[in-house]
Amino acid sequence: MTINKVAVIGAGVMGAGIAAQVANAGTPVVLLDIVPAGATNRNAVAEGAVAKLLKTEPAPFMSKAAAKLITTGNIEDHLELLRDCDWIVEVVVEKLEVKQALYKKIDAHKKPDAIVSSNTSTIPLATLIAGMPQEFAEKFVITHFFNPPRYMRLLELVTSDKNSADTVKKITDFCDYKLGKGVVVCKDRPGFIANRLGVYWLQSAVVLAFEHGLQVEEADAIIGKPLGIPKTGVFGLLDLIGLDLMPHINASMASALPSTDPFHGMNKPLPLVERMIRDGYTGRKGKGGFYRLNREKGKLKEALDLQTGDYRAQKRMRVDAVTDAGRDLKKLFTHDSEHGRYAWDVARKTLTYAAALVGDAADDIVSIDEAMRLGYAWKWGPFELLDKIGVDWFVSKLEEAGCLVPPILQAARGKTFYRIENGKRQALTLSGDYVTLERREGVLLLADIKLTQKPVLKNGSASVWDIGDGVLCFEFTSIMNSLDADIVMLLNQTVQLVQSKYKALVIYNEGSNFTVGANLGLALFAANIAAWTEIEQLVGLGQFAYKGLKYAPFPVVGAPSGMALGGGCEILLHCSAIQAHAESYIGLVEVGVGLIPAWGGCKEFLARWQANTKMPKGPMPSVAQVFEYISTARVAKSAAEAREMMILRDGDGITMNRDRLLFDAKAKALKMAENYKPPAPPTYRLPGLSGKLALKMAVDSFAKMGKATKHDVVVSDVLADILTGGDVEYFDELSEDKLLELERKNFMRLVRNPDSMARVEHMLETGKPLRN
Amino acid sequence: MPAYKAPLRDMRYALYDVIGYDDLTKLPGYEDFDRDTVDAVLDEAAKICEEVLQPLNHSGDAEGCHYENGVVRTPKGFKEAYTLFRDGGWTSLACAPQYGGQGMPVSVNALVEEMICAANMSFGMYPGLTHGAYKALHAFGSKELQDSYLPKLVDGTWSGTMCMTEPHCGTDLGQMRTKAVPQEDGSYRVTGTKIFISAGEHDLTENIIHLVLAKIPGGPKGTKGVSLFLVPKFLPDANGNPGERNGVRCGSIEHKMGIKASSTCVMNFDDAKGFLVGEEHKGMKAMFTMMNTARLGVGVQGLGLAEAAYQGAVTYAKDRLQGRALSGAKFPEKAADPIIVHPDVRRMLLTQRAYIEGCRALAMWTAKCIDIYRMHPDPAEREKADDYVALVTPVIKAFFTDIGFEAANIGVQVFGGHGYIRDNGMEQLVRDARIAQIYEGANGIQGLDLVGRKMAMHAGRYMRTVFHPISEYVEANKANAALADFVGPLGKAFGRLQQATMHVARAGMARPDEAGAAATDYLRLFGLTVLAFMWARMAEVSLPQADSDPFHKAKVLTARFYMERLLPQTGALLATITAGGKTIMAFEEAAF
Repeated sequence: MTINKVAVIGAGVMGAGIAAQVANAGTPVVLLDIVPAGATNRNAVAEGAVAKLLKTEPAPFMSKAAAKLITTGNIEDHLELLRDCDWIVEVVVEKLEVKQALYKKIDAHKKPDAIVSSNTSTIPLATLIAGMPQEFAEKFVITHFFNPPRYMRLLELVTSDKNSADTVKKITDFCDYKLGKGVVVCKDRPGFIANRLGVYWLQSAVVLAFEHGLQVEEADAIIGKPLGIPKTGVFGLLDLIGLDLMPHINASMASALPSTDPFHGMNKPLPLVERMIRDGYTGRKGKGGFYRLNREKGKLKEALDLQTGDYRAQKRMRVDAVTDAGRDLKKLFTHDSEHGRYAWDVARKTLTYAAALVGDAADDIVSIDEAMRLGYAWKWGPFELLDKIGVDWFVSKLEEAGCLVPPILQAARGKTFYRIENGKRQALTLSGDYVTLERREGVLLLADIKLTQKPVLKNGSASVWDIGDGVLCFEFTSIMNSLDADIVMLLNQTVQLVQSKYKALVIYNEGSNFTVGANLGLALFAANIAAWTEIEQLVGLGQFAYKGLKYAPFPVVGAPSGMALGGGCEILLHCSAIQAHAESYIGLVEVGVGLIPAWGGCKEFLARWQANTKMPKGPMPSVAQVFEYISTARVAKSAAEAREMMILRDGDGITMNRDRLLFDAKAKALKMAENYKPPAPPTYRLPGLSGKLALKMAVDSFAKMGKATKHDVVVSDVLADILTGGDVEYFDELSEDKLLELERKNFMRLVRNPDSMARVEHMLETGKPLRN
Repeated sequence: MPAYKAPLRDMRYALYDVIGYDDLTKLPGYEDFDRDTVDAVLDEAAKICEEVLQPLNHSGDAEGCHYENGVVRTPKGFKEAYTLFRDGGWTSLACAPQYGGQGMPVSVNALVEEMICAANMSFGMYPGLTHGAYKALHAFGSKELQDSYLPKLVDGTWSGTMCMTEPHCGTDLGQMRTKAVPQEDGSYRVTGTKIFISAGEHDLTENIIHLVLAKIPGGPKGTKGVSLFLVPKFLPDANGNPGERNGVRCGSIEHKMGIKASSTCVMNFDDAKGFLVGEEHKGMKAMFTMMNTARLGVGVQGLGLAEAAYQGAVTYAKDRLQGRALSGAKFPEKAADPIIVHPDVRRMLLTQRAYIEGCRALAMWTAKCIDIYRMHPDPAEREKADDYVALVTPVIKAFFTDIGFEAANIGVQVFGGHGYIRDNGMEQLVRDARIAQIYEGANGIQGLDLVGRKMAMHAGRYMRTVFHPISEYVEANKANAALADFVGPLGKAFGRLQQATMHVARAGMARPDEAGAAATDYLRLFGLTVLAFMWARMAEVSLPQADSDPFHKAKVLTARFYMERLLPQTGALLATITAGGKTIMAFEEAAF
């Protein structure tokens, strides 16, 4: 039996978000909450929650259609709806009596084998099920989501010895495959793993910053990038969480943890923070936090001076300790400055605390590392960091300072926490032995393949890997995975190679973005030195290579995750099929930099919409649709949206779990390879000049309304020239190559335009589009 | 002794016919400077340079400056010449009217500067440095400082200096030791030693205003902690006249290879009272503003010296009778033919001339852009002009001064043994020209500035200001048969420059040493190609008049010579550049 229907009880921010993610997975979900006192609409809370979900940014839904999978109701009238649910998630207030009362109601209405879970972050599982029947307890676990549930990949799972193996597998599989989560099994201890360590770390970083007399920018610069902490830094993260929440979290940690826990030593009152909370400076949701944007001063970025408690302009920090240390963490920790001492104090406390959690919050180091990577977006987990620092050095420094050395650190003396043995990753255990780390079934990662293999082909911007069973994987390796001449060349070579020796090709990588498009820096430089011939050649080479993928005698599966923009979207449009990670953001964004898609993007997008039998007849509707998408640089905000935009076609797949993407793409490629025939080239019937006039009128009216800028009009005009076929009549049939020529010619017109060049430059230097 | 006649015809040609000076007179503030006014200024400038400054050049070199007890005396006649120069209003030519200046376009001023350098480079150092100090103060000084110092710097009663170099640091100013301690009254006390200070001490003016780079104790490390200070030799009294003697003294003067009449001083600052110019720790920015204009000025020095050497060489080649032409006697009535009949002598003279006239046109293009940057009402036009000037500044500094030295050297060669002896003044030009390749950032540094900073700036946006005009010009004229001999070679050289640029940009991104190894050759390739652009445009201007006017006929022939005999260097340079820096860097330090 699998989970086919889910209920979420409690429609607060977390509950609603969880319901949305279940719906994103295509699973029907019931969302219930209380009946508000004196309400005329007894479902107001749950209904309001869904309405709010639809307006929230970043969007909790992957597509508006997903909202239809949610049935709303209340816990007085609609408990009947639980009857056919396979999993019921409780996300109500953190009050034991409320929860337990609810469990009794749930137990009365659920089907016997339905799993019940709580999203509690503070109440132990043992306490929750105390007094509940054995059958209920057998099906009860804690599923601890992180906010926002769509985007945070961590799911902490707490089980008990009462659970059957089947229950654990069922819930794990659903959260993994369907919700796309990294499931980390935790022990039934306060704060589980991520918050236990995370809260201690945040608290230490803040308290120590005060004690060392540092400013927030200094602290964030020191323990941010060098330790692989996200850009927000500690103080930015606290602003995001909400300063007012911290005392509550700290208090609940303090009450739950034994008096010997080092957390108590760091849980000190912070008068400045207390004052901030009192005055409404609670972070981003309040009047400001440690950082704020001062709108009265023209969106001036300000920071709170930790010494005076006043806001002042944010400083760009260059900390000598960080610069001098480079990548050497030991140098940072031993830097003879307040900065170096701060770095060491925070790292020493955090990493020692993490080490002490082995055997307490988790049985193994892997869970702790994974929880911090997925839940707090650390680049390296604490044990990976310790390997970078050097265990022996760290331990000797602890001993020098007379600190207690936790058992796992004792066991690690003279060793590393992770090692590669016969091409397999292994992790150290408390006993001092290593266990081999096995991926779950259906997980295939290039990172693992790289442990034992050398690339089949490789140049400065891309590598090709043999991922087994006759399938090759093309990986971008350039800076930010940007597309350049080297990638185009290697694509051509790869097509030749697959044709001679392999069955199929997958285009995939493990960067945070599939690719943000062509290397604009190089392109702009070439344009600035008037290297027009070279630019036109590169456009032609790209067209040739992408066409080569499309008509190759073997299937090519594009497997994006993250952003696939511009030339990255174009490469996907040329693949035989797409297997997209659910969190893929795909679109033709060229107009944002004053250009148009010229690596076959226009012609492929048109072909997709012309093939759509649901569109009204005639050449114009599909042209108008594609024109709208490209001229507004529309990006699909999920794979589901990409399907609505027809970037994904019938037969293209979506993988919810990032780690399963390559496996799914490879499976698809192999299936297609069974009797693969390349597509027949499309022909186009385009509206010509009259169609162009219609598009021009639309753009002009946007310009009049102030929605299109001066240069938007110019770029749209060039785009219209391509999409309407230029100087053609209705009855002309245009070939694919004719469209490629139109793309190329018109691209060259725009790339020479100083206003387009200004857009490219602005994008490169600020990361934002120029609205000229 | 070489005589000097200002090349007024060619100057006007470059300014009016090639660069389109008249555009500038449409800019607000420049309306009054029509051709008549400009012509009169150039004529007068030529007069003082030819009649007053040039006659002192050789004697000044022979006598040098005198140092005694902290006092420096300039060579005989300099003080009188300076008085004439100042009274003629030449120090105020390009200064703001608000402070008593004449507000003349930079384009015109640059031609005057060329004449001064050609006539007497040593003399030119004194007003030249004053103008640099004027610019820094004008751009960054407080209103109070400007009001009390600028009028005197403009009218030339006071002079100025730029004090950067210290005994242990020249290029690397981050190591600077001179310190400036803040005082309660808002002033500073400056202490330290500066060396190589041109015009640091002399007897031409009643006061000397030093602009000094120094560090405020406790500030940031390196160049980020450098600030700029104004330190007068005499502190002005209540009436603005030189008052109390300040704690700055000349310790000695250098004995140099050339520009001997220019005093090059060791300056000791001992608790000298100074005033902050601009913001604390932002001294490098102010210094670079000053240095960028100074670098263009140094380029013009190279040009002026080349012109002087050319004029001397031509006169001698026509007068010197020696042997016969290879094809038989050209002047059988004379005892021998003048050496100008020889192809190799002609090669030398034309080499000088083609470089000089090309550089003059390029100097004018650049000066016009500075004028546009200063005066144009449209910010987009100003930005474009500024991009261009930023890009070509290192090219003008290094390429022009290399050319200046080469041309001066050719001058000696044409004279033979008579050039090598002192009496004829040709070897002085070589010695004088040598410093221009060194100061204001050695030419190697200019190459690094070009490939390391200017090329990459805003993904190559600065490059656009040179590459697009050339590309468009070649595109527009490639079908023009009359211009084929000029546009063809220009297109070829431009292709090489593009190729080299791509190569340097790519290689440099991966390995900075690669860009460093290519820098000097790349800068020359850049300079030669831009000069080819100038020559193609000059050929275009002169071709229609070549039959009717010997001036234009000579222009077209010089353009041909440039394309045929000088521009082909670009082929070798491209090969050198793409060969890369591997071998250079592979050489073990111990093996040198």
